[in-house]
Amino acid sequence: MTTVEPTAPAPATTPDAPAVLADVAGMLRTMLDEDGLDDIEVAMDTRFTDDLELESIDLVTLAGTLQDRYGQEVNFAEFVADLELDEIIGLTVGQLVQYIVRCLSTAQVRAVEGS
Amino acid sequence: MAMIHLGGPPGTGDGPDGLRLHVQRLSPPDGRPPTATVVLVHGLLTDSLASWYFTVAPDLAAAGLDVVMYDQRGHGRSERPGSGYRLETFVSDLERLLAQLEITTPVHLVGNCFGGTVAYGYALRRPERVAGLATIEAKPATPDWLTDISGIMRRIVVELVAHEAESLAWVTAHRGAHTARLAKSAARLVRTTTIAEDVAASRTVSEERVRSLRCPALAVYGADSELAGEDGWLRALPPGTRTVMLPGEGHSVLAEAPARIRGLLLSWIGEQGTAIPVAAGLKGADAS
Repeated sequence: MTTVEPTAPAPATTPDAPAVLADVAGMLRTMLDEDGLDDIEVAMDTRFTDDLELESIDLVTLAGTLQDRYGQEVNFAEFVADLELDEIIGLTVGQLVQYIVRCLSTAQVRAVEGS
Repeated sequence: MAMIHLGGPPGTGDGPDGLRLHVQRLSPPDGRPPTATVVLVHGLLTDSLASWYFTVAPDLAAAGLDVVMYDQRGHGRSERPGSGYRLETFVSDLERLLAQLEITTPVHLVGNCFGGTVAYGYALRRPERVAGLATIEAKPATPDWLTDISGIMRRIVVELVAHEAESLAWVTAHRGAHTARLAKSAARLVRTTTIAEDVAASRTVSEERVRSLRCPALAVYGADSELAGEDGWLRALPPGTRTVMLPGEGHSVLAEAPARIRGLLLSWIGEQGTAIPVAAGLKGADAS
């Protein structure tokens, strides 16, 4: 009789920066569509305030959308808690994307180690 | 995020469907039960709950508090009715919001500028519901306050509505694109609602009545602000109010010196004792 050793679950693919950027760009387009600004390209160096003309309250709304998409692992409130107001206003899409990728890989490492 | 629907009782200026307010709630991390509830009330026109969300709110939650923030009527992502902007209506909104969130135990109220005036108004109306009152650059709604705010509203109508393009160009050049964007929203609020005339028609309270307030109170000012420079108004604050002047800061002290404000609020709320029964569950609001 052969005993089959339980195997560790295959690691799920963590979304990389391009995938997360595509996600975030989609969320932003949905938000911006409401303001009739649907033809703006969203790239890593796009700035939320200067380029997309988002207000700080739009970033709060975005935080909610991020949590709906990625769950508790991506905590925008914690992310911004470490930033000065000027830094938040000057935030780029890329900084947010990198943060999300970091959160998701940490969560995955935790899941694999915990298995 | 959650939109909280307030029913439309008579006298609020709302339509028959009431009013929808945008609420954000932050809880202590790792599912720890909160030690107390703190409600953050923002200021007038260019302000929204974002001013709290990006300054003190995450740290208050991390310190173990249940943090409730909301966009006041006409502001942020809350509804913008055409009328109904007297101070007492804003106070009623806060009262109705806490009822809707089933928060019935005393809360720590923190208000910035006009939000502080709303907080004083709520403390006067429902003293038994307030564990403590902390205000930043704010005055209670005395006749003096009404004179000040009416003057400010008249100036804003002229600058932001009659000369909107020039004013926005000036703000963009001197204060940056983000402030200009906020000013644009403020101009829309003033142009499309009766807020300017309503605020100026708010009901006032006597200094004597303000002095009857007995809850612990902290009043923070930027030492260089116009308010701090006025004579004699400190006597209009409730007795026992701890007054803190932050040197080198002006009216925008919350945005300019969030770390100072954070420290003051945390130590002050801590001093009041956090063994206050926590409000009801997070029903109807976002627990994120």
